[in-house]
Amino acid sequence: MRTTGGALAAGAAFSSGLLNARFARAAAPDDPLPIPGGSPVLGGGVHIFGPTPDGSFDPIDAEPSTITNFNGVVGLAYINGTVTRTTIATGAQVDLPFIASDMRLMQGVYRGVDGKPRQGNFALI
Amino acid sequence: MQIVDFNPGIEPSGLFWTSRVPAGAIRGVNPGAGDAVLQATNVAVFDFHDGVNAIFGGGPPPVPAVVSFEVRWFGVDERVNLKNRAAGFAGEFVYNQAQMEWSGTSGGFHYQSAPLSTSFSLFAELGQERNGTFFPH
Repeated sequence: MRTTGGALAAGAAFSSGLLNARFARAAAPDDPLPIPGGSPVLGGGVHIFGPTPDGSFDPIDAEPSTITNFNGVVGLAYINGTVTRTTIATGAQVDLPFIASDMRLMQGVYRGVDGKPRQGNFALI
Repeated sequence: MQIVDFNPGIEPSGLFWTSRVPAGAIRGVNPGAGDAVLQATNVAVFDFHDGVNAIFGGGPPPVPAVVSFEVRWFGVDERVNLKNRAAGFAGEFVYNQAQMEWSGTSGGFHYQSAPLSTSFSLFAELGQERNGTFFPH
């Protein structure tokens, strides 16, 4: 979920650099594995594609799943709306836009780290 | 200027912003009709502040956050069959619409979106996909 302040929100203005890997932890046998490819827009090393109708990010037929060795249902949506931010300490509120929030679901059979097929439910937030 | 970016982070494996959710979090799935609901409560994530920082780092450190959300896919605008041998996936999808209501807390701020019905999708799709070892070469 992505919220912007100010009048203009940049959609997906990414730059090159080192990936911001999550806090190291040992992989579990049932952890899903990422898709092998990645969007050229992000340099190819980030394991996600962003299909768009006008191809402004990736072509509309780009892969929506982020998990490989997967057989199931995938949903993808880029959603706009408004959100109210409340400063907890003071109660002050301001309305802000959220723009192109990328939300995805994946539900089905996958082979994770240990290669065994399992049923899984996942969300890209 | 983006001020909030809630996501679970990138796994050391490279798995991107993807978290396991309870089985009940995904319901009402009918890909042919374009219907599905994704709903979860109090999901532990991080606020990376903006997308560039979330992917490449270099900015302020992320802070723990909690989000709840409901996303609804609905309708059928177009049906497509995709098969990409280079990328190694195939599927049958509908291009459709989606809406979302969400809330979250990060640092000293609480966020509550407007009702689901006030949101709209720039693009949405729902379908059946096979990739990797399940891809029909």
